[in-house]
Amino acid sequence: MDCLRFARWSACAAGAIACSALGAQPQVSFHEEIRPILEQRCQVCHGMEDGQAGLSLTTHDGLLEGGKSGPSIVPGQPDQSLLIEQISGAQPKMPMAGGPLKRDQVELIRRWIAAGAVDDTPAGADAAWWSFRRLEQPAIPDARGHDADWPRTPIDRFILATLHKKGLRPSQEADRRTLIRRLTYDLHGLPPTPEQIERFANDGSADAYGDLIDRLLASPRYGERWGRHWLDVVHYGESHGFDKDKARRNSWHYRDYVIRAFNEDRPYAQFVKEQLAGDVLNPDSAEGVIATGFIAAGPWDYVGHAELREGTHDKRVTRNLDRDDMVMTTMSTFASLTVHCARCHDHKFDAIRQDDYYSLQAVFAGVDRADRPFDRDRKVFRARRELLAQRRDIEIELKPLLARTAEMTGPRIETIAEEIKSLREKRTDLVAKVGEVDTDEKKARRAELTEQIKALETERTNLRRQLLETQVRARLERLEKQLAQVDELIEALPEPEMVYAAASYFKPRGRFTPAFEPRPVHLLLRGDVESPGDPSQAGAISAVDWLAPRFPLDQPRDEGSRRLALARWIADPANPFTWRSIVNRVWHYHFGSGIVDTPNDFGRMGSQPTHPELLDWLAVEFRDRGGSFKKLHKLILTSAVYRQSSGGDAARARIDGQNRYLWRSNRRRLDAESVRDSVLLISGKLDPLMGGPSVEHFFFKDDHSPIYDYSRFDVDASGSYRRAVYRFIVRSVPDPLMESLDCPDASLLTPKRSSTLTAIQALAMLNDPFLVRQAEHFAERVRSAHKELPAQVEQAYLLALGRKPSVEESQTLVAYGENHGLENVCRLILNSNEFMFVD
Amino acid sequence: MSRHSNHHLRRSEQRGFADHADPSRRRFLWNWGGGLGGIALAHLLGQSNLLAGAETTGTDLNGGLHHRAKAKRVVQLFMSGAASQVDTFDYKPLLLERSGQKFDPGGKVELFQSDPGPVMKSPWEWKQYGECGKWMSSLVPHLGRCVDEMAFFPSMVSKSNVHGPATFMQNTGFILPGYPSMGAWISYGLGAMNDNLPTFVVLPDPRGFAPNGPANHAAAFLPATHQGTMIRVGRPNPIHDLFPPESAKYITARSGADGLAVLEKLNRGHMAERGADSRLEARIRSYEMAARLQVSAPEVLDVSDESAATRKLYGLDERVTSDFGRRCLTARRLLERGVRFVQVWSGADNGFPRRNWDSHEDIRKDHGEMGTEMDKPAAALIKDLASRGMLEDTIVYWTTEFGRMPCSQGAKGRDHNPFTFTSWLAGGGLRGGVTYGASDEWSYKAADTPIYCYDLHATILHLLGIDHKRLTFRHNGIDRRLTDVHGRVIDEAIA
Repeated sequence: MDCLRFARWSACAAGAIACSALGAQPQVSFHEEIRPILEQRCQVCHGMEDGQAGLSLTTHDGLLEGGKSGPSIVPGQPDQSLLIEQISGAQPKMPMAGGPLKRDQVELIRRWIAAGAVDDTPAGADAAWWSFRRLEQPAIPDARGHDADWPRTPIDRFILATLHKKGLRPSQEADRRTLIRRLTYDLHGLPPTPEQIERFANDGSADAYGDLIDRLLASPRYGERWGRHWLDVVHYGESHGFDKDKARRNSWHYRDYVIRAFNEDRPYAQFVKEQLAGDVLNPDSAEGVIATGFIAAGPWDYVGHAELREGTHDKRVTRNLDRDDMVMTTMSTFASLTVHCARCHDHKFDAIRQDDYYSLQAVFAGVDRADRPFDRDRKVFRARRELLAQRRDIEIELKPLLARTAEMTGPRIETIAEEIKSLREKRTDLVAKVGEVDTDEKKARRAELTEQIKALETERTNLRRQLLETQVRARLERLEKQLAQVDELIEALPEPEMVYAAASYFKPRGRFTPAFEPRPVHLLLRGDVESPGDPSQAGAISAVDWLAPRFPLDQPRDEGSRRLALARWIADPANPFTWRSIVNRVWHYHFGSGIVDTPNDFGRMGSQPTHPELLDWLAVEFRDRGGSFKKLHKLILTSAVYRQSSGGDAARARIDGQNRYLWRSNRRRLDAESVRDSVLLISGKLDPLMGGPSVEHFFFKDDHSPIYDYSRFDVDASGSYRRAVYRFIVRSVPDPLMESLDCPDASLLTPKRSSTLTAIQALAMLNDPFLVRQAEHFAERVRSAHKELPAQVEQAYLLALGRKPSVEESQTLVAYGENHGLENVCRLILNSNEFMFVD
Repeated sequence: MSRHSNHHLRRSEQRGFADHADPSRRRFLWNWGGGLGGIALAHLLGQSNLLAGAETTGTDLNGGLHHRAKAKRVVQLFMSGAASQVDTFDYKPLLLERSGQKFDPGGKVELFQSDPGPVMKSPWEWKQYGECGKWMSSLVPHLGRCVDEMAFFPSMVSKSNVHGPATFMQNTGFILPGYPSMGAWISYGLGAMNDNLPTFVVLPDPRGFAPNGPANHAAAFLPATHQGTMIRVGRPNPIHDLFPPESAKYITARSGADGLAVLEKLNRGHMAERGADSRLEARIRSYEMAARLQVSAPEVLDVSDESAATRKLYGLDERVTSDFGRRCLTARRLLERGVRFVQVWSGADNGFPRRNWDSHEDIRKDHGEMGTEMDKPAAALIKDLASRGMLEDTIVYWTTEFGRMPCSQGAKGRDHNPFTFTSWLAGGGLRGGVTYGASDEWSYKAADTPIYCYDLHATILHLLGIDHKRLTFRHNGIDRRLTDVHGRVIDEAIA
């Protein structure tokens, strides 16, 4: 770190937060100790102003006033206090949900009441929930007492203060071999090579560690790793989900965009704005359109959109839920808020109103998810945009005229309807039944009937046109001619590329057609599409009243300006959620758990920050230093807390078994992508090719419901050796190997992955055709370097585990290899705990 | 069948691993991330209150989580594509009377893909069965002989008339993807009853997946341990990666067995240097469990030890019933060995030729085939469970995503009907021979007491000793339940 910054940090440290000495019995603080218990366990029901039983436990006054049954506490008299009565005993009455309070929590409350139930809430403390409070940078605590020389960065001083308060001390620093393995997995999702390990272990320069981080951050492998995290958060998938789970062949541009953004260290505010409204901000740039793949990332109900008829109940439900996904994804991703809980009523726990929720739906009222053309050549793209805008305007004029035409009728038109009906029935009869075979003859006959139906339909349209008033018909014909002219000009442009993204104008697919202008969004009573209330104006969260909660729009019919307004609301430096949310995510991926352990929920139902001051300090630091991920990584990775050993300690584990306060590093199981990628790197087969259409690890057959069959895939096929971030992600049928390793369902927003250890996973690691084949490649690689088995075993260990085997390990594996061959040795090493866990 | 399963057995003997796990250690393994292990894992993740207010499980509650359980296990038969209630269980004299006349139940009739055709009576005859006198169609005569064991729910309502969302709803309680299946919830709530097989097993239709694919039996946000493990009856590798691929010649029986011993030795050495970390131990045990599964899975699929009478009962000797029969028999064998929840699918997704219950074109032909496939084996399952004394604590749950219209589509088919359809339950703790709720005179809409999947799910959980309101998992800010914010235990159907 440079001197200038350090000076600034020291200056900030003047108003240090006091921390109690190790082991001392501190006075119970209402503000710091009792309030958090109430917030976490009681306010779910007794929150806000009108809690259950008339009781609000959000303030000290609320406790004194009590509810229908009288005051909750009598200062100095714990045994007279209703609160104590309710929460203690063999079967406590409260809390109703989530099991009784812990014994030490009850004891803490009792002690606080006994000591007079003093309210030590500082003057001016914001009564709002922590995440709704304005973001200000707290002072950095002084490092005192034990371990005063431990901190390497301001982060460590926050961590140390909390450790001491809890009676904990940090662990020693991990050795260099452990650190390079940890760092390389953390930033690349790959193991270091033996050469890289040797170089780092023997690098005598003062900033060897910092240099290593810089090297890792500069590699494109970094974007592949961290881009994948982002894709989890936004539930990126490449098929629609639901029934008829069609493939999205053009989604990958967004995946590449994300990887590129991380590698280029795009400022976070820009990253946010591009994903919500890149097409509005940079209308002529391919990047702007591609970035809105964010809005389209989630599942989409093909049948509901493309097959259901306009005006039906289920169509309304489909559209409502589709916008719900856009709202939920946006606000979970960028703000860590659960606004989707306010779809049927005001949010029960957080200050989110139902009309806030529908204001957010109104932001997305004009967009759908669809394939959208773009050109890398800005001039061509501009020309295309202008032509498409003309085309759209013509279509808007045409729409009522076509509707008018469809109303025309006459004797022949009615006969045609009958004929079409009878042909359709004939065609239906030719559909193969259960247990039958669909023969070519039947198919041909059906196609023939389809042609006849089409011909009749054309005839009918022509007849109807002749019945139109002359003027109307003339207008219709003029518009159609214009449309044809525009289409000709569009045809003359170079072939565009396509991206699956947010789209307000696109080629219809069945009954899936563009909105042309934002669809009206109403507040829905009880979330019921049949009970619309007031119309909603585009906007966001009212509780954050220093940011305009409803968006003033010059052109309300321009849907793009709505998305841009939301993008600006989120990226505003004064937004209290945005900056806390993202630094918490980054922290989560570095440490295995966030400062707030529910990265998508900063509300009352989520976890509370273990280090609230640190979270705010980091958020301001990140925001004010350009929103640079790479700077944030370096700040975190150079900390002493990151560099700790993952070794256990019985005494400390008794105080904090879950390591919430980070007295050691967390040992972590490799995630699915890291397993697959590592095996390829170790076997020497990893293909570093970046970007482009996704690799399909399955046999594909298009059908009403397409078939994705992973068992019919050649594990040595071209593309199989590329990184897992480039594989094609099917929603309905997950890749069995990846799924067994907890790769999440792409229909779910996944702020953090689970990490299970199951028999099915063990079977996959042992027997999956890809892994079994890679063990052979691994053996081949080792064999080509060394002739003798002991040297081969040593080389295999170095490649896979980054170290030489012990004498005993070597003897065991050589003996095993003599009996069963090197391939089996390699297969075992890839199944070892040492390979699967990072210390 | 027996030829195939012997093959499995032989393979597992050749290539499986030595079994040297003591029972208590195996129990620990299965529990890792499952059942009580789910709670343990939750603590590791820093979450709490996942199984809100759970009492201690144990024999005092007969295996129940919140109260005494009446049933221990469930087998769900899912008719994919929407099985018609008016051609099976929901008898309506009015349809016989008005067949061919204009369908006019009053109000606007909004169908999924067609305009309503005339009223269409079922092509099958109806008659009364059992002491309860329940009317059943001649499409399901074998089930007819079980009616005194069955509780019918003819006023089921779906929130969607589209296959994908509606299939999700019956499985997970939500019409969107991303929610855990009922089997996963039960696995999470109650954990395993055996050491050798998964807790939640799915037997898919060999013709293909139902709409939504395996997402129908996913664990979603619950730990992956709880997802449905697919067993493909009759395939050489019935569970994905159960055995190494044939192409991997270097893996032999001995290399596998010796390998597991070497692996454990390496892993124990690794663990000794690192001190207490229960995950390192758990992963060692997961390999022991995998080895056991290699032995137990082929064994459970091998029906050669079943008597000729049993095989005949399930229709294994007839073309039409042999496949579904084999899977129903396998379901019983799984349940017998302690699997908690088995889901058997009848019907795949849409495509031509038809391979499911979605009979838009021709009810007689398509339901004829699907119904005959299903009837005898489903009835056999009830009878077989009863004769083995297992029906009293096993729930048989028959359902579909929605029903079909009493009017015709085209000339011979029926369109979707989300407004009323029939599900039935039998066994563990239920009253037999009852019908709860009713559809209207057409079987077009639920007449009174509309029942949603929430109510059936709540009832099934209740019988398993689970309070559906207290089986929760917090995900993205909401304490999620199988029953969302709904659900009523149908006491009227409980014995």
